[in-house]
Amino acid sequence: MRERFLTGYNDFVLPFVVGMLFVLTYCLVGLIRIIAQLPASDRKRFFLSLVTPKTMVKNVKDIFLKCLIHVDLWKRNKLLGYMHSSIAFGWFMLIVVGHIEVFLYTSHLGAKALYYPIFFRYFVAETESTMKGALIFFLMDFFLLVVLSGIVLAIIKRVRSRFFGMRRTTNPSFLDLIGLYSLWSIFPLRLLAESFTADISGGSFLTKSLNYVFTEFLSNHANMLPAWWAYSCALGIFFCVLPFTRYMHIPAEILLIPLRNAGIRIVNARKGFARAQVYSCPSCGLCIDACPMGVMKGNIRDTTVYLNRQIRRKNEPRIEEISDKCLLCGKCTAVCPVGVEGDKLRIAQRSTRRYNFGPDYSNIDTKLQSERCNKFVKKINNNVSRTDNERVLYFAGCMTALTPVIRKTTESVLTKAGVDYEMMDRDGGICCGRPMFMAGRFAQADELVAKNTEIIMNSGADVLLLSCPICYKIFRERYTLPGIEIIHHTEYFERLISDGRLKMRKSSTKYVFHDPCELGRGCGVYEQPRNVIAAAGEVVEAARNRKESICCGGSLGSLTLGFDKRRAMTENALSNLVAASPDRIVTACPLCLDTFARYSDRPVEDIAQVVDRASGYGKIS
Amino acid sequence: MDFGFKISPSSAINLDNVDLTKFEELHRMEPDVYKCMACGSCSATCPASPFSGMSMRKVITALQRGKEKEAVAMLRNCMLCGKCSMVCPRGINTRHLILSIFRIYREDGK
Amino acid sequence: MKENIVIIGGGIAGLEVAVQLLDLGYKPIVIEKRDRLGGHVADWNLLFPDMIPARDVVGNLIARASEANIFLNTEISFVNKLKDSYNIMLSNGISINTRIIVMTTGFALFDAAKKEEYGYGVYDQVMTNKDLEHWFNTGDDKRVNDSAMNAVGFVHCVGSRDEKARNPQCSKVCCITAIKQAIELKQRFPEAMVYCFYMDLRMFGKKYEDFYINAQRDYGIRFIRGRVSEVSENIDGRVIVKAEDTLSGKPVKVTLDLLVLMAGIICNTDSTRLANMVSLPIDSDGFLKSRDNVAEIIESPRDGIFYAGACTGPKTVPETLAEARAAALKVHLFIKGLK
Repeated sequence: MRERFLTGYNDFVLPFVVGMLFVLTYCLVGLIRIIAQLPASDRKRFFLSLVTPKTMVKNVKDIFLKCLIHVDLWKRNKLLGYMHSSIAFGWFMLIVVGHIEVFLYTSHLGAKALYYPIFFRYFVAETESTMKGALIFFLMDFFLLVVLSGIVLAIIKRVRSRFFGMRRTTNPSFLDLIGLYSLWSIFPLRLLAESFTADISGGSFLTKSLNYVFTEFLSNHANMLPAWWAYSCALGIFFCVLPFTRYMHIPAEILLIPLRNAGIRIVNARKGFARAQVYSCPSCGLCIDACPMGVMKGNIRDTTVYLNRQIRRKNEPRIEEISDKCLLCGKCTAVCPVGVEGDKLRIAQRSTRRYNFGPDYSNIDTKLQSERCNKFVKKINNNVSRTDNERVLYFAGCMTALTPVIRKTTESVLTKAGVDYEMMDRDGGICCGRPMFMAGRFAQADELVAKNTEIIMNSGADVLLLSCPICYKIFRERYTLPGIEIIHHTEYFERLISDGRLKMRKSSTKYVFHDPCELGRGCGVYEQPRNVIAAAGEVVEAARNRKESICCGGSLGSLTLGFDKRRAMTENALSNLVAASPDRIVTACPLCLDTFARYSDRPVEDIAQVVDRASGYGKIS
Repeated sequence: MDFGFKISPSSAINLDNVDLTKFEELHRMEPDVYKCMACGSCSATCPASPFSGMSMRKVITALQRGKEKEAVAMLRNCMLCGKCSMVCPRGINTRHLILSIFRIYREDGK
Repeated sequence: MKENIVIIGGGIAGLEVAVQLLDLGYKPIVIEKRDRLGGHVADWNLLFPDMIPARDVVGNLIARASEANIFLNTEISFVNKLKDSYNIMLSNGISINTRIIVMTTGFALFDAAKKEEYGYGVYDQVMTNKDLEHWFNTGDDKRVNDSAMNAVGFVHCVGSRDEKARNPQCSKVCCITAIKQAIELKQRFPEAMVYCFYMDLRMFGKKYEDFYINAQRDYGIRFIRGRVSEVSENIDGRVIVKAEDTLSGKPVKVTLDLLVLMAGIICNTDSTRLANMVSLPIDSDGFLKSRDNVAEIIESPRDGIFYAGACTGPKTVPETLAEARAAALKVHLFIKGLK
């Protein structure tokens, strides 16, 4: 081992050093800003989580598995997973092994520490006679090969995204392209540069072989320096543009993961956690194919990846357009490999909108509403205390008034099962607040929450039954109803069946279940409806289901999409559902039912209809 | 001089004097506002209607007749639930229309 | 006179075309998918505005058309376009070569169950205009309870003038049909309150306005200007209808023993299927497209193919019959032109 140059310095390191210093400063400033922007309580919680052993372990594990190995991508698409992890993990290992090398073979570092590990082969001529040396030579070449294979795949993906099973990919911005090309060129240039020095500083199967094969060119040391310059320049350019490209996701994600693990939520539309999410977007474009609006070409630029880009550019008109159009089905969030919450990010943008005036519900008197659902109030009904069963308050929801079949069949099922129930909104009720929340108007949504809470708490019920997943989600997330169980009818029917209170008769009908956005992705209810339907007939699955179910297109989440713009989405969602040729389509949301029934070629039903048809008054065994 | 009675201002709508600047602005944002055929579906289905007499149909008419104050008062109890959008036979996106009214008009109806 | 003339559809339009052509000395072929002739009109009881029995009109036509070649229970399997003629393959295995096709494929009634909020098929007290005519004819329908008929409601424009129902067009005949049916119900149940929930009343035809005045003045039928938006059910199984009375500007709610939905007229899917076979264009309203909608409504853009009746849009009985006669004349002139 010997150092080739006494100074340990050559001018070609400058581009790299400049780039590196720039990017480190930028990230440090960004980090401090984001943490400073967090609400004080969140900040405290974040710092606490950093020193809590449990979250510490989780942070390290998540950063390793997500940022380096890209496990989520592997699960979705093996080729894409390999491409990303080969570049990320390979590069990471090159850096780690490079530092080990420096640590093992050089003693004096000082200012050289910044660039020495990167350009080690130029400065230090090592012999491979020692075991350590040979191993390290091999490892360095091996990981370089890994990265290069990833780069090759990346180039193929750029040219033919279909090869990766992606129909559409993101359209890169100009700076993205510069970042992309400089990233692509870093590793071939490194290979070239190290091949020049392979006969002096040593190498392994890749660099050394290359040096032998092209000995004419690569042994000519006059060409050596330009190659090292080019390598350094590529690195320098990449680091200089990094903060302005999608590659910002590399440092940002390392911050996003601990923030998320600390349980922090989006509060400000642009600052703090939201900002960390926006910068963590790798522009991979998985959300483009996932977006139900994507069936219409004009909507492709309204997907989450473009929202993130526009937020970074502060393009307000486009941010508003993209945020307001979204159906809030949450599928982009479900498929996002880094965990950008496209739906919540949009709701946050909507919340920043300024209105000259807005609703005010102080005049709404809950007394009248309370009087309508007083069956379980002991003062009025003496039998209340004697019932052994749970006292169920059924809130059908606004939408269910437009699909009366759900209410009628649900009531019929409850009667058959002998459930002691009372309807909360037989004659109209107060909106649950979820649509208002989706419009980003949190204060007004909370006013509605307060009104309904009052009515429910006065009712004397101990179970609140809902048949609309839109209501269900907000009841679970924003209502505080001590002592009252909040349950969706799919879950309640499952309980009635498994408790033997509802006798079901199985038929040979083939049902497919459509997972409503708010019930599936929104509340994580996937198994119960399938179990219920399985008791009534055969369950077949849609091409894409559960977490990847496709929004019916009728969602209230979108503020701007007009009725005429939604047809293509509904038809696309329907064609996904009928992949296994079911006889009937079953859903558990009044809005999905109404939307699908309009365009479907076969019967569409709510799960309550299925249960009502298949159940009897205990006569069937 | 007070004769013990006052001449009350005419309740007739004089279309010559109605200032439609704001309505034109609304129309630019929501071209469908002119599609309303006053069928009343939205009003009948509205859960806020029992509380504030909210009627989207009336709001649209009132704004066109220069009765902004009445319109704004009705909108106060809107819960943005979207039922009106669902029932509208002309496919008007009433929810967004309401949000646009909140943006363009002021609380005092001006 | 060996020219084959194929009339597709054995409703009143097809029958009238056949009758006229028989009179002119031709022997047309009538193809009907159902097991009987007369189409929708044969399902009706009395026809406005003169209240003549539909049975008489249809019966008369069937009797006069009996000389034609009539195929019942027969559908068109496929049509081959030859150089200047068509080869039509029927479901009964017969194939016909013809240069002349008259499309009298008629319309379909909107499936009222698709308007979920009206509860057709969900509530026991909700029926359609067609169900009511069936009850007029047979007296057999559990939804009509003779002993307790205190209040009846008619909902106009169910599945018409409704973008949500995918049919923004006016079905034209439902306004007057609702008034006719309201009067008939009032005649049978004089004590009952009868309400018509309408958006606009379109009394365009001869003597329709008189009919409307009758309904108001002589029968006391209540007209409420407002589209029904929700129907629910009370404990004793009666239906509660919610609408806005747009004239008073107040929400109205009424409990009814029977709710009749005036299902609108939409294009028959069989018409569209046939149109595709012979490459006929479909108009933006979903019905078959004529050369123009003013002077040549009965002519298709293809030589030798003519239209009559509701396959080009909602029509009344007299309009359909007039078109059928005109189409027969066109066919006659077309054949003369061929020679």
